[in-house]
Amino acid sequence: MKKKSLSLLVLMLTLLLLLAACASDKETAKENQETTPVTFEKKSSEAEAILDLSVTNDGKPIKGGVLKVAMVKDEPFQGIFSWELYEDGYDSDLMSWTSNSIFEVDQNFMITDEGIASMKVDHENNKVTIKIRDGVRWSDGKPLKIEDLILPYEIIGHPDYRGVRFNTEFKNIIGAEEYNAGKADTISGIKKIDERTLEIHFKQLSPAISYGGDGLWTYAAPSHQIGKIPVDELIQSDAVRKNPVTLGPFKVDKIVPGESVQYVKNNYYWKGKPKLDGVLVKVVPSSSISVAIASGEYDIVQSFNATKMPEIENLDNITILGRQELFYSYLGFKVGKYDYANNTVVTKLEDSKMGNEKLRQAMGYALDIEQVSEVFFNNLRVRANSLIPPVFTEFHDDQLKGYTYDPEKAKALLDEAGYKDVNGDGLREDPKGKKLEIKLASMTSDETAEEITAYYLQNWKDVGLNVTLTTGRLIEFNSFYDKVKADDPEIDIFMGAWSTGTNPSPSGLYGKADEFNFSRYTSEELETAIKNIDSPAAFDTKYRAEQFRAFQEHLEEVATTIPMQFRYEIFPVNKRVKNYNVNYGEGTELHEIELVAEEPIAASK
Amino acid sequence: MWKTILRRLIIMIPQLFVLSILIFIMAKFMPGDPFTGMITPETDPTRIEELREKAGLNDPWFVQYGRWVGNALQGDFGKSYTFQRDVSDIIGERAINTFYLSFLSVFLLYLIAIPLGILAGRYHSSRLDKTIILYSFITYAIPTFVLALVFLYFLGYQLHWFPTSGSVDIKYEEGTWGFFWSKLYHILLPAITYAILGTTGIIQYLRSEIIDAKAMDYVRTARSKGIPMRKIYTKHIFRNSLLPIAAFLGFTITGLLSGSIFIETIFGYPGMGQLFISSIASRDYSVITALVLLFGFLTLLGSLLSDIIMSIVDPRIRIE
Repeated sequence: MKKKSLSLLVLMLTLLLLLAACASDKETAKENQETTPVTFEKKSSEAEAILDLSVTNDGKPIKGGVLKVAMVKDEPFQGIFSWELYEDGYDSDLMSWTSNSIFEVDQNFMITDEGIASMKVDHENNKVTIKIRDGVRWSDGKPLKIEDLILPYEIIGHPDYRGVRFNTEFKNIIGAEEYNAGKADTISGIKKIDERTLEIHFKQLSPAISYGGDGLWTYAAPSHQIGKIPVDELIQSDAVRKNPVTLGPFKVDKIVPGESVQYVKNNYYWKGKPKLDGVLVKVVPSSSISVAIASGEYDIVQSFNATKMPEIENLDNITILGRQELFYSYLGFKVGKYDYANNTVVTKLEDSKMGNEKLRQAMGYALDIEQVSEVFFNNLRVRANSLIPPVFTEFHDDQLKGYTYDPEKAKALLDEAGYKDVNGDGLREDPKGKKLEIKLASMTSDETAEEITAYYLQNWKDVGLNVTLTTGRLIEFNSFYDKVKADDPEIDIFMGAWSTGTNPSPSGLYGKADEFNFSRYTSEELETAIKNIDSPAAFDTKYRAEQFRAFQEHLEEVATTIPMQFRYEIFPVNKRVKNYNVNYGEGTELHEIELVAEEPIAASK
Repeated sequence: MWKTILRRLIIMIPQLFVLSILIFIMAKFMPGDPFTGMITPETDPTRIEELREKAGLNDPWFVQYGRWVGNALQGDFGKSYTFQRDVSDIIGERAINTFYLSFLSVFLLYLIAIPLGILAGRYHSSRLDKTIILYSFITYAIPTFVLALVFLYFLGYQLHWFPTSGSVDIKYEEGTWGFFWSKLYHILLPAITYAILGTTGIIQYLRSEIIDAKAMDYVRTARSKGIPMRKIYTKHIFRNSLLPIAAFLGFTITGLLSGSIFIETIFGYPGMGQLFISSIASRDYSVITALVLLFGFLTLLGSLLSDIIMSIVDPRIRIE
């Protein structure tokens, strides 16, 4: 018996270690990396970052055919086929084939009249009128009704709904909070006018409404299929897991949970019958995807990690398409705290180690992000000049210089601000002559994260700044945000990233009341710009663009959040695919994709 | 013996109870929770807090634990935060996959290792023995993921002998023969990889046991009585040499459910190992606790099984 309890103890200890180690097994390996100086060789050829956005292949299209799509992922997918309930991007990729979207958007992500529904915004009365086309049918042949547009609101607003979409934006719909509190059976602000018209009343409309923001929901849900299922049972129901009824060019035929989905063409698709017979999406582990591409297993690859580009760039059976993501990474400086009792950012520039503007700017100039982009990311990441990704052509300020690599300027700025090396150890002291140690929090990601962070630390050392890692190593994602959110005193600066979504508005991330304003910087000027961006006056795009510019310029100047990199996502496309376009707003109509061979083509070498 | 088994089963209850408390507390010690990962510019921090509250994550740990035990005793292990499905459903699905794969792996493992071990022991110091030892050293030294990737590359992508990922081809209907064969076909390559890599221990054990047994008195007696060598090996030596392997059999059987993270990840095979690791990464508490409890139970059961098997194959051992 004694032996048995010992083995149990051993098991427990192992599990304890596992729990402690699993979260951080990547960091522990090379704990002291930051002290090692790192140098990189510059590549001889300047790789061209800009990839094609679309491809057309010659050849006579075959009749029908099944498009084979690989989804690069090392775990099974979740498989929640509902726009109201899904949580991760992979599920949304899977749903993109079946869609349920009622609106179409242009290159600036503004809703157009081309989709199933069109929208009229009456911003004086805070009212939106949505009209749907005649004759649109669900994949089971039932007609699309106004009730199908109302249902999603009633799901998200329902007291039993357990997702993130019931948020401040959603509460902007009149009656949403009452409905959620169980005080009303319907949402009073949503009114069916006739069989084709829906009216939604909001508390306050902003320009974001034209981008699908402000609480507007841009998908329909099949009320004849799921309308009677209680909201708390919906997520486990067959209607969401196995046989969703949809509006898009393809419909789900069969699912192997977590592994693959087989779609067939939807003959009721409102834009016409798809040319393909179907689509097969399979999860493929990242360790073998490059070989799979070379041997011609797949036509289109989604979620391909751009750092693996060198493994596939010379293959002759594919075209690699790329587009900029709605993403930027940044360097944040803690210059205050968040007052959780009063929900407000409290900026204290004078009391903060990072309170000196010139110090922050110098730290931006000192980073050789250009080289990192080239060596580690093959220029599929580029130095970011602003906090609005360039994809938002209307609002991105391409005149901004950003903090380009300039160590001399960094040194000059530090000298000017009084950060000088007093004791001759090669590291600068603060203006009072005290030792200066800046703590950087940085996240674990793939295997290159250690090296890149080490290089940045070296960059700062080169200009005389002693930057060390919070906790002595890279921090696992969950801990990172826990610490950053709690304004951990061990963090002076931190490297994070945001995926912006299609609404570029900075509210939520830089406002005075925003918990996610992690640098804890706010000022009257900044607050005004943010407010103006979403004000009624900003329905005038020119005015809005000006305010966006003011926002970007102000943050560039104060440098409390310095943009680091923009990122490209790439899509390897097999030469069997006749036509494919990944550009925002003009992406290929899925029902028009054609193939030119019976099977995907393998690489010749 | 039945009394002992019953007693051992009863004593498992407090053991599992302690394990569940420990694992529950340790899981809560991990930084972050299932909702930490939900931050995007569009998510509303107050909504996340609300969800946390609704999920009961803000209660003190013993309140949460009490609630969890109450449900667990009724067979309800909660809902996975990540997959939004019942934990028992998810574990059930993965456990079946892992069981098939492990079963075939272990079968192939014994199929390869036992003959090799016997041959190496019987003809020890011969060229055959040396070759087998070399083989077992090499397979022992190769990291799992290397061999898995090499096999996948050559046998899967180059020669197209095996499927390259997943657990079943989508074109077959569940419950048909095609479906069954497709499942078997998909686990073949991962199982072969696993079997080849795991043989060393058994080969070495068996080999040294046989070498030892050859010099034993009972073998000499048998030989002097004129019993043919073949019969001595099959009747006497083999049975005695298998004892240490039989001792491990209990653990091997229960180990069938724990899965292998490397094999599963590389072959894109949804199994238990992967589920365990990913649930830790995403702080999927309900899955973590249920899995650890299951693994703990299996370990206890394994040791009991091993003891029972030993008492059957070795008459010298009796469970009291």
